[in-house]
Amino acid sequence: MNPVLVLGGGPAGLSAAAELASLGAPVLLVEKEEYWGGNPRRWHYSLLAPDLLPAEEVLNPLVSRVEGAPLIERHLRTTVSRVEPLSSGFRVELKGPETSGWREVSSVVLATGFDHFDSRRKYEYGYGRYPDVIDFKEFEGMIHDDRLTRPSDGALPKRIAWLLCVGSRDVQVGNPWCCRMGCAVSIKQAVEVRQKHPEIDTYVYYMDIRTYGLWEDLYWKSMNEYGVKFIRGRIGQITQAEGGKRLLATGEDTILSRPTEVPFDMIVLASGMEPGTGTKEAAQLFGLPVGPEGFLTPKLSDLNPVESGHPGIFLAGAATGPKAIPDAVTEGMGAALRAYKHARG
Amino acid sequence: MSVVAHLPHRTPTLTDTEAAHPPALELTGRRPLTAEERRTAETIFGEFRADGRYREYVLGCLNCGECTTGCPAARFYDFSPREMLQIAAVGDATTLWDAMQEKIWACCQCYTCNMRCRFGNDIAGIISVMRELSVRHGLESTRRVLAPFNRSLTLLMTVGTQVASDMIQPDFFRDWGPFAAAGEKSWDADPHLLRQAIPIDVLQTTTSSWEVSVQTSLELFRIYEEAGVLDMLRGLDPDLTEMLIDIIEERREEFEEARTRYHSQLAAMHGPVATFSG
Ligand SMILES: Cc1cc2nc3c(=O)[nH]c(=O)nc-3n(C[C@H](O)[C@H](O)[C@H](O)COP(=O)(O)OP(=O)(O)OC[C@H]3O[C@@H](n4cnc5c(N)ncnc54)[C@H](O)[C@@H]3O)c2cc1C
Ligand code: SF4
Ligand code: SF4
Ligand code: SF4
Repeated sequence: MNPVLVLGGGPAGLSAAAELASLGAPVLLVEKEEYWGGNPRRWHYSLLAPDLLPAEEVLNPLVSRVEGAPLIERHLRTTVSRVEPLSSGFRVELKGPETSGWREVSSVVLATGFDHFDSRRKYEYGYGRYPDVIDFKEFEGMIHDDRLTRPSDGALPKRIAWLLCVGSRDVQVGNPWCCRMGCAVSIKQAVEVRQKHPEIDTYVYYMDIRTYGLWEDLYWKSMNEYGVKFIRGRIGQITQAEGGKRLLATGEDTILSRPTEVPFDMIVLASGMEPGTGTKEAAQLFGLPVGPEGFLTPKLSDLNPVESGHPGIFLAGAATGPKAIPDAVTEGMGAALRAYKHARG
Repeated sequence: MSVVAHLPHRTPTLTDTEAAHPPALELTGRRPLTAEERRTAETIFGEFRADGRYREYVLGCLNCGECTTGCPAARFYDFSPREMLQIAAVGDATTLWDAMQEKIWACCQCYTCNMRCRFGNDIAGIISVMRELSVRHGLESTRRVLAPFNRSLTLLMTVGTQVASDMIQPDFFRDWGPFAAAGEKSWDADPHLLRQAIPIDVLQTTTSSWEVSVQTSLELFRIYEEAGVLDMLRGLDPDLTEMLIDIIEERREEFEEARTRYHSQLAAMHGPVATFSG
C-alpha cells in the first residue's frame, strides 16, 4: 500500500498520523515548520482550556506517539509543491531539506490549520504601536514563561483588560465568523493571572461570552472563584495616557449605556482565527473549493465533516474552521479512518 | 466600579420644582402622547419602515458599542448611535417618536459610527432619514430645535452655502495656522494663505468666492422646488418658506430686468454682434 499523506503536523495532523499507523497503514507526515504541534507549540500555549492542563501534557503524548511509530515517515521543514492525480491516489512532489522529489500516495489528509488575525489591521487598538497592547497568542507565551511584565518598562501590571472578538464577528475586516476559542482562552488567561498574582485586577470586555457547552464552567469559576470582572461592551479605541505610562481604553458600557474611559497597564487582544496560508495553498494545490470565509469546506459538513468530496482527500482540524484541540484531534481520527478505507480500496 | 471614569455628559438631576413640572419630559416626548400625536407617530413609523433606505441601512446589531465610542456627540449629550440603531431596528412608534423629538439632532453626521460598525450598518444614514421625516411632518420639537439655525438655512437655500463672506475671520479658521491669525491686515493679500482656503483653479478671492451669481441662485432654488425640499420645509416653517420665496422672487425680477435691458441694448447696437440665448 502506498502511504497516506498527512499534510500538517498540528494536533489534527498528529492525531491522524498516529491513528493511521495504529491501523497498520504507512504514513507520510509533512510539516512546513521545524517543530511538531502546530499553533499550540508555535506560540507556547500555557494551560489549555477548559481543564487547565499544561499544553505539554496534551501535545507531548501526541508527538511521542508519532515519533514512536515506525510506519510514520516524518518530514519537518517540508512542503508539497506539486500534485498530480493518479487513477487511484496521487503523485506529490515534496520539497524539503531531507527529502525532495515525487512520491506516490494512496490518499491525503489535509490538516493545515489556521493563522491568527493580524491585530494591526484594527488600527484603532494600537497593536504594533503601543508595546503594552498585546495579542493573546503572545500573552500565552508570557504566562507560560512567567513573564507577566509590561514590555514597555518591565513593571508588573496592576490592571489588565482583555478585549474579545478582535478580527472576528466584524465585517469591517471581512471576518464575520466567531473564533470559538477567544472567550474561553481569554478567561483562562485572566484566571491564570489571578492564580499567580491575585493583586492584579482583571477585566474582560465582551459583547457575548461564548464558552459553549461544558466550558461555561470556566466562565462561572472565573467570576466566583477568581474575581475576574466582566464589562459588557467593547473598547472601541485605545490611546496612551499619563505621558505614555498607561493605556486608555475608551468604550461603551452597553449595560449601563455609558461611555467609559479606563486606564490600564496592559490590554490583551483576543485575535481571531483565519484560514491559514498553508490551508489556502493546499486548497489551490489540490483544487478544492473554499467557503466564503476561505476555510476548506467538507462536502457534507453535518453528515461527514472529514470528507472533502474529492475522492481520496480528507480534511481535519482548524483547516475547515475555528475549533478546539479536542475537536481537531477527533477529526484527525475520523479522517484517518476514511483515508485508510480509501487507501485499501 | 470606582475605576471607571464616566464622561460628564449626563443630564443633571432635576430640582424639586423641576421634578414637579419636568421641562425635559415635554422635549423628549416622554409625556403621554395626545391622540393626534399618536396618529402622527404611527404614520411616521409606517413611512420610516417603508422607506427604501431602511433595509439598506439597518442590518442588525451586536450591541458592541463601538459606534458610540467614536461618536463626538455621545461625549457631550445623552446620545448614542447604538441606541439610535437599536430604536431603528426594534423600536415601536412611540420609541421612534421619542427619539425624533430631540435626540436625532445631536448627531453631527460625521460618519465615524459607520466606519466603526462591525455589522456594516449605516447609522448616520438612518439618523438622517429620521431627520427628514421629522422635518417633513413639521414636528413642533423640530421647529424649536432648528429655530436658531434660520440664518444658515436661509443662506443655504438662497445661495447654496452656509458661510457668508463676513464670517471669514482668521479667528474662525485657526486650523489654517498661526499666520492667518497674526496677519489679519494682510489677510486678503497673502496669496499663500488665500490659496489654502480657496483652491487656485477657481481663481477666486475671499470676497468674490462667496458671491453667487443670480443665475446660480435661481437654478439652485429651482432644484429645491422640483426635488420637494421646499414643500418639506413648508411643513416645518411656513413663514421661513414664504420669506425664502420672496427673496427668490426679487432675484428673479432682478434677473428679468437685466435680461430685458441687455436685449434692448443689443437691439440698439449696429453692426454684427455675437448673440446667445439664455
Ligand atoms: C491563543 C489560542 C489559544 C488556544 N488555546 C486552546 C486551548 O486552551 N484549548 C483548546 O482546546 N484549544 C485551544 N486553541 C485552539 C487550538 O489552537 C486549535 O484547536 C488547534 O491548533 C487546531 O489544530 P490543527 O492541527 O487543526 O491546526 P494548527 O495548530 O494550525 O496546525 C496546522 C499545522 O499545519 C502546518 N501546515 C499548514 N499548511 C501546511 C502545508 N501546506 N504544508 C505543510 N505543513 C503545513 C502548520 O505549520 C501547522 O503546524 C487555542 C487557539 C488560540 C488561537
Ligand atoms: S469565541 Fe468569543 S472572542 Fe471569539 S469571536 Fe466568538 S465571541 Fe468573540
Ligand atoms: S455620524 Fe452622528 S451618530 Fe455617527 S458618530 Fe458622527 S455624530 Fe455620532
Ligand atoms: S457599532 Fe454597529 S454593531 Fe456595534 S453597537 Fe453600533 S450599530 Fe451595533
